Amino acid sequence: MPVSGPGRETALVTNVQRFSVHDGPGIRTTVFFKGCTLRCAWCQNPETISRAVELSVDVDRCLSCRACADACAPGAIETRAPDGIDRDRCDGCGECVEACPSGAISSIGRRMTAAELVDELLADRAFFESSGGGVTLSGGEPVLQSKLLMELAPALRAEGIHVLLQTAGHYPFARLEPLLPHLDVLHFDFKLGDPARFASSTQGRLDVVEDTLRHTLRAHADVRVRIPLLPGQNTGPSVVAAIGARLRNLGVERVELLPYNGLWESKLSRLDTAQKPLGWSGTVDVERIRRDLAEDGVLATHSVVHP
Amino acid sequence: MSGPAMTPVRSTERITPSPTLVPSARLGRLRAAVLAAPYGICTTKAERLTEFLAARWGSGLTRALGHLHGRAFAAGLADQAAGRPLARWKSRLATAIVSASRSHELPNAEAIEQDLAEGLAHVLRNAPLRLYPDELIVGNASSRRVGAPLHPDYGGLLLAGELDTISTRPQNPLHLDESQRRALHERIVPFWARRSVLSTWSVYSDDPSLADELIDGRALVLTQIAGISHLTPDYPSVVRLGLRGLLAQIEARREAIDAASATHPSAAQRRQRSFLVAASTSLDAVVEHAHRWVAHLRDRARLEPTRADELLEAAAVLDRVPEHPARTLREGLQAVWLVHATIHAESFQHGVSFGRMDQYLFPLLEADFAAGRLDRAGAVELIGCFLVKAAELLPLFFDRATEYFSGLSSASGITLGGVAEYGRDASNELSLLFLEAYDQVRLRQPNLHVRLHPRTDPALKALAHRVISGGGGMPALFNDDAIRPALEASGLSVEEAADYAIVGCAEWGAPYRSFPAAGAIFLNLPALFLRALRDGRDEEGRTVGPRTGSAASFRDLDAILRAFVEQLRHLLRRAVRGNDAIELAHAEHRPTPLLSALVRGCVDKGRDVTRGGAQINTVGVQCVGLADLVDSLAALEHAVFAVDNAACTIEELIEALDRDFEGHEILRARLRSKSPRHGAGDASVDALTARVTRCIVDEVSRFRPARGGRCVAGLWCMTTHQGFGARTGALPSGRHAGAPLANGAAPAAGSRVEGPTGALASCAAVTGVPNGLVVNQSLAPSMVRAASGQRTLLGLVDGYFAMGGMQLQIDVLDPAVLRAARERPEAHRDLVVRISGYSAYFCDLTPAMQDEIITRAESAAGCR
Repeated sequence: MPVSGPGRETALVTNVQRFSVHDGPGIRTTVFFKGCTLRCAWCQNPETISRAVELSVDVDRCLSCRACADACAPGAIETRAPDGIDRDRCDGCGECVEACPSGAISSIGRRMTAAELVDELLADRAFFESSGGGVTLSGGEPVLQSKLLMELAPALRAEGIHVLLQTAGHYPFARLEPLLPHLDVLHFDFKLGDPARFASSTQGRLDVVEDTLRHTLRAHADVRVRIPLLPGQNTGPSVVAAIGARLRNLGVERVELLPYNGLWESKLSRLDTAQKPLGWSGTVDVERIRRDLAEDGVLATHSVVHP
Repeated sequence: MSGPAMTPVRSTERITPSPTLVPSARLGRLRAAVLAAPYGICTTKAERLTEFLAARWGSGLTRALGHLHGRAFAAGLADQAAGRPLARWKSRLATAIVSASRSHELPNAEAIEQDLAEGLAHVLRNAPLRLYPDELIVGNASSRRVGAPLHPDYGGLLLAGELDTISTRPQNPLHLDESQRRALHERIVPFWARRSVLSTWSVYSDDPSLADELIDGRALVLTQIAGISHLTPDYPSVVRLGLRGLLAQIEARREAIDAASATHPSAAQRRQRSFLVAASTSLDAVVEHAHRWVAHLRDRARLEPTRADELLEAAAVLDRVPEHPARTLREGLQAVWLVHATIHAESFQHGVSFGRMDQYLFPLLEADFAAGRLDRAGAVELIGCFLVKAAELLPLFFDRATEYFSGLSSASGITLGGVAEYGRDASNELSLLFLEAYDQVRLRQPNLHVRLHPRTDPALKALAHRVISGGGGMPALFNDDAIRPALEASGLSVEEAADYAIVGCAEWGAPYRSFPAAGAIFLNLPALFLRALRDGRDEEGRTVGPRTGSAASFRDLDAILRAFVEQLRHLLRRAVRGNDAIELAHAEHRPTPLLSALVRGCVDKGRDVTRGGAQINTVGVQCVGLADLVDSLAALEHAVFAVDNAACTIEELIEALDRDFEGHEILRARLRSKSPRHGAGDASVDALTARVTRCIVDEVSRFRPARGGRCVAGLWCMTTHQGFGARTGALPSGRHAGAPLANGAAPAAGSRVEGPTGALASCAAVTGVPNGLVVNQSLAPSMVRAASGQRTLLGLVDGYFAMGGMQLQIDVLDPAVLRAARERPEAHRDLVVRISGYSAYFCDLTPAMQDEIITRAESAAGCR
């Protein structure tokens, strides 16, 4: 494991997703960093919450060959068990992943340096240039990796690549501040306007998010506040009114409404997580929400058609 | 005879995007009529040509023998169709009969040309003239609304064993009347059983097991038994000079020969002269046919007073063209269509293409606009009428060939856009109008191809996005900056390469002046790779290739690649010589004087196109299963040749392949999940792909066809990836025996790819290919129809082309719609999907091909 120092900084990355077309303009590659300061009940990327390498087990692909059990030094694998892994015993060595012939066990989280990331991200440079796209830094909470981002973002900008950061803002502004000059655009998630509700749904503090947003709006010219529409969680009239009031106080005049889907629930069975399926369904009255927000002087756009 | 190197483009200003046109009601009705028409077989040529030649060729005795031979021939074909190889003594006997009868039954070569030209005239003089409601462009490529001419002189007799079932076969049934069936059984099959290309080509082949190899259908398909095709006739000269102009050139050439050989013409001069006479006869026959139409339209105008004006105008147009130069867009389109239709009374309907129509017809559109005769909507309606005519034509495949060429496309290509002189953008108003017309018609053919380059007018790209978003995979997109250098490297001049047009599906080359035989040969790359693994033996242990060493002796990838190339070279030699034999049969038995009058070079040389008359000659060799080959090599590298951590020995691997991985599931899983693949954007595999491509292109280009010119490699497959795949054993990539091979240059089905950009970045490694390639990319409708869809789609195209990608076709598919179409085909008759380099109605596809399209759609839907 390299010690820290210039160029030695690493971060855990769960996925480098090429051809992302809903995370900013043009054709983009989105880097999902691992680790988050919030615990949203509706989190769409549960594998990005923990800051440690995790194992994902896809039971459907298991051939029951026992190669993983044979490779596991601490004896954490019992292939007769449904999920098969005793995660308390697992020391995260990754030998089982290497041994598994079918890819049923995979490890979530790759430790990467900025240089390695730049290398991988440049693979789609031609598409960024042809479509006005670029790189989106997402997560988890990417700002937790601010040291690495301080190497990565300038390096990408030096290559002429458009850099967008997606953040939930739940950290002291000082962590984000030095990074701002190296970002073209920020997508700032704002989910709830009521501190108590925010605390119960995300185990976080709304005042921290508001403080970061207030400073960020002053310090960066292109901050786009986005509200993910979470059916039944932040779509009711009173909840929307609370969001509208907060945003007005912060001086936010425009927001983007994001559609939400429950595809993440299929990931849960492969992870060791306390997150529970929500089974949300039903339609969201986007027009009503837009009207409610407009009453608070906040103009909402809803441009993404993808479900 | 030679025309300008490139049709000049006069428009220098940028195209102004114009508002979307109101759909034409006429085109809507024409579209519905073509979609509703049943498919049928046209035997006009078969019956008329046979009756004409039977009166000239052969004696009473041979006619009697003909019936016996015809019956034996049909029985042999039924065996072959079932995949049973013909007994060696039977094929020897057949060859002996054909050889013996050839010498005393056929006239000499000069007389054959003239007989066939007069035979064509007889066909065109007696062909029924079918006029359909609403059409403004008239002329029939067959006697049916949607029909397939049967060519008994080529490979049409392959249907001899299926005549009683073809109207009821499950896949693509084609209607055949009882009277047609009787004519075929009683007169046509017996006459051609000893005279067709199908029955004579083996006389010219010195490879006795080649026929078995072809019946086996595992490693090699030779298509030109079905007829010569896959070329772009000199339609610009038809439009600019008229057939009279071409006839004058032939006459001048004949006078020059006469002047030079007044006293003692040499044998060569006599041959040239007789060719020119036959070419004249053929063009005269087309002019005469046009005038039959004039009289017919005037008669019909009297009978149909409500449509009289329209019909009289059509008569006036045909009174002028194709005999004389076209002056209006309508005359230009009508001239091209009528000549195209008559070509198919002579030649097989596969890949006979239209060239750069937006270039050579543009002066006519300009003249119409300047004179105020036509507006954009009127032009779109005329072009739409032309496109509908092209969709009336079907190819004719016997049952087994349907597996290799599913979808019933006769694959006529129209090329739009591209560059003009000095690399200027050539796209113009007419390029847009062709796309607008296609957008309204949306039938399975013709194939629309758009050439792109960095200076292409944004309006054309925006419209291309709109048309592609509607689904169906058209237009296909071609990258000038990658294709022009590949063509120059294959021997074309800078001007010829800049003027390239697409023949058929994706075969780039010089139009109007070449006989590219672009679809002549298909080879199965993974089958050759398996032969290399098994020391020249096939999956059943028969020795079919050279001994290239036992697998145990291979220490690295280079060794196995060397063995593969040796196997490839061996099969290429057989394939090219086999194709030579077929072409020789064409040259000796079935020259094509009409087509030859319409390909530049033939008149100058005084030589038929089948005998090397074209200015440029090539033979296209399609190599199928590139991704399977690359993936298998990569799997060997990782699983067998890896220094540490090898999964198995090469012997264990071959053992697993022999058992189709039965009992070796874990090894198979490892091969599939652990080794990188084509399409995953892995730099080392992309380098391997580039190396293998280079190696194939170079190897093919070493071969020289007997007709002259060179062999050129292509990486497109129609549906041979299904036909070959069904006959190919398990592969080291983990692909099971019998599964389809990868389509064109695209990643193998089911490969985990890094999204469309990763897949296309890998495909950009496949470059420098001289005879075309196909890369299919499916996208979900929501992705391209969103507000940002144009940016996404064009960004994908432009990025891939900037990386050096040669060709791309984007099919916008909704898996739910496809599944619904399979459940209720009658409600989705008009659902057009992309197959390989062509499109087809989904409901016309084999079930296996439907599965493949649904899988593609599902993986596109999963790519969010």
